[in-house]
Amino acid sequence: MERRRIRGLTVSFEAIPQALAGVLDLPFPEGYVSSIVYVSLYVSLTAVALSTLFSVPVAVAMGFSEFPGKRFVKSVINAGMGFPSVVVGLVVLFAVSNQGPLGPLELVFTTEAMIISQFVLATPPITAISLAAISGVRENVRDAARVLGGTRLDVALVVLKEARYGIATAILAGFGRAISEVGSVLIVGGNITSADGVSKTRTLTTAIQLEARQGQYGTAMALGAVLVALVLAVNAIVVRFGDQGVRR
Amino acid sequence: MLRAVGVSQSRGEEAVFRDLSVGVDAGEVLAVIGPSGVGKTTLLRTLALSLEPEDGRVAFDGTDAWKADDSERLSLRRRTGMVFQEASLFDASVARNVEYGLRVRRSWRDRLRDELRSIAGSKKHPHAVRESLEVVGLTGKTGQHAGSLSGGEAQRLSFARALAYDPDVLLLDEPTSDLDPRNTAVIEDAIAEARDRDIGVVVATHDMHQAERIADRVAVLLGKHIAEVGPTGSVFENPRDERTRKFISGELVY
Ligand SMILES: Nc1ncnc2c1ncn2[C@@H]1O[C@H](COP(=O)(O)OP(=O)(O)OP(=O)(O)O)[C@@H](O)[C@H]1O
Ligand SMILES: [Mg+2]
Repeated sequence: MERRRIRGLTVSFEAIPQALAGVLDLPFPEGYVSSIVYVSLYVSLTAVALSTLFSVPVAVAMGFSEFPGKRFVKSVINAGMGFPSVVVGLVVLFAVSNQGPLGPLELVFTTEAMIISQFVLATPPITAISLAAISGVRENVRDAARVLGGTRLDVALVVLKEARYGIATAILAGFGRAISEVGSVLIVGGNITSADGVSKTRTLTTAIQLEARQGQYGTAMALGAVLVALVLAVNAIVVRFGDQGVRR
Repeated sequence: MLRAVGVSQSRGEEAVFRDLSVGVDAGEVLAVIGPSGVGKTTLLRTLALSLEPEDGRVAFDGTDAWKADDSERLSLRRRTGMVFQEASLFDASVARNVEYGLRVRRSWRDRLRDELRSIAGSKKHPHAVRESLEVVGLTGKTGQHAGSLSGGEAQRLSFARALAYDPDVLLLDEPTSDLDPRNTAVIEDAIAEARDRDIGVVVATHDMHQAERIADRVAVLLGKHIAEVGPTGSVFENPRDERTRKFISGELVY
């Protein structure tokens, strides 16, 4: 069921470059674009989902406690938002390489390695923006939740609910960074297709840079259009989802 | 029933009050009056077990709340309700705000079942929710979003939210300071209703006429201490303390 739905989604994305292909006369191998979209979405969504499960609890814990060095940790996370993705890719590549600590898992040039590097890239924005949203919840609302009889967990749930739009923004920012990123996925994934031209570790971004380098500007543009459509679609879904909670 | 005994609090370097004792019994209204910044809010939060006193103790029916373990303190805290000076409503419907106190007292299983029912649209509001909204005259606004209420309605909702789970003590921090006469009357009637239900009510206010109207006893908080505490009539007509007299007559301006 789930698979079929993803299929349906990617098949419809095939339509955009195919329509353009008609105009620009670009031959795409069968299933090429679908497989690229699939790899892009699979890697980015998995990394963002895992990062959210990690980042939001960290942001809650940080928002609720005072400890020495908190400001330092915050500035490290903030700096992480601007961390060069190529360097992250390099470090992850080393980690999964034969000499690295994750070497035995044989993850070089796999989607798993790409997920690891996207996780590292998405975590700082998701944590930092969630933390800002959580810190922005009025002290009074927290107090009210506690004084009205809430346990620590109840208070945390209230704060999460109050900060939900900010947290949704954080997740979108993380997704935006992951899906549109080239450097690290190129390094750890290797931009590979199998013999029949179906993507193994090729994402929209790495495909675009490859096509552009080969002078296939039309193809690159078409893939760029798919990427933009994808980002807009995911944003629209999240915004739509968020609006359902509001009955003002 | 709820007493602070010899409590001290400070904010930053400066002491707010020292060695202060005050208490409230079931079915009485105690007004805490005093100039702005004297520590009324700090005192109420101390009584609400939301702020731990630096010195002294807060006792509920003789149990020292800060010597008790976490779960016992939680159950003591659950016997009080508080209305805050500033807006503190949750970003949710009027009904969900009022129900909050009831919800956190339920088991996780019941809460989950309730959430599912409310998603399915087959959830009924508990009787206590409708009853509290009735006390403050907000029954017509049950489904509205709390953020869309007027200032007066928001303050009334805040009161209903604290009343819904039938606390033993209600702590009201200047509940009518920004309100027009009609909203003020609604809140004052609700305070009388709470007293009739045998709830002990502590109201911080800087409106001395209000204190005269609603309080059984008055505590005057001046210069880090309770300058005077006693039955409303005698404090206002016949203050024993010189500064109280000046404060009440308006000569003492901070
Ligand atoms: N979170 C805080 N951090 C630092 N100082 C604080 C804090 N809250 C209160 N204070 C200080 O503690 C003192 C007492 O404040 P409190 O709010 O209890 O006064 P109040 O009597 O309620 O005043 P008002 O009538 O204006 O509400 C004030 O001097 C205030 O500046
Ligand atoms: Mg105050």
